[in-house]
Amino acid sequence: MSEEKINANKQKVDYWKILFKNEWSYVTGAVVIVVLATALVIVTGKSWGVTGILHLWGGKFLELIGVNADTWSIYNGALGKFNFWNSIPSITNVGIVLGALLSALLAASFKIKKIKSYKQVIAAILGGILMGVGARMAMGCNIGALFSGLSAFSLHGWVFFLFIFIGAMVGSSMLKKWFM
Amino acid sequence: MAEKTLDCLGEACPVPLVKAQKELEKMQKGDVLIVNIDHSCAMKNIPDWAREAGHNVEIDEVGEGEWDIVIEKC
Repeated sequence: MSEEKINANKQKVDYWKILFKNEWSYVTGAVVIVVLATALVIVTGKSWGVTGILHLWGGKFLELIGVNADTWSIYNGALGKFNFWNSIPSITNVGIVLGALLSALLAASFKIKKIKSYKQVIAAILGGILMGVGARMAMGCNIGALFSGLSAFSLHGWVFFLFIFIGAMVGSSMLKKWFM
Repeated sequence: MAEKTLDCLGEACPVPLVKAQKELEKMQKGDVLIVNIDHSCAMKNIPDWAREAGHNVEIDEVGEGEWDIVIEKC
């Protein structure tokens, strides 16, 4: 009787551990991303992107602090027409942040991390600026330009793929040299 | 057998990995390096590298979102 119970306990599959606690394999992650990204194209008619919409967010922020950016040639009235709730990339971006929070909470690994040094702050700000400027100049990030580009059989995705490696190499050597 | 703890709390990839690699290089066979991390990527890339290099690796979850990676140099 007791032995049966032990065996039954041993065979019980811990679904929480499999689904939420343990890291998914690269293959599982890739399949889930492909399914969701395909669903996004089917439902909205547009491919997944992250950074493309950020220039409108930036313009909206400028308007908020009193700068009339809508007259600038890059916007040319686009800010007036911008509606957050009708903007699919805005909604998916918020979804990324909320999803990351949810996955950390479900894995019971949510933690507010301390800032270790002023160097770390400078590295983070500098890294953010470089990535932001780079993504705007390349007209996309590793989602909009790489992932969506490759899945649409576009050559620009492969060009981006090559240069993201060069950028990552330069970035890591900067990190090693100055910020460690 | 020396034992050393490396505090990488609050540090993001690839900093914990690079620090662990540098530290382990200085250590002798049989020494133990404990790396404190709170960045979940480091929970994958540090053990991946250390196992590949042939060391013994164990991961302890010490708190919510906090882990100790114990590496025994082989």
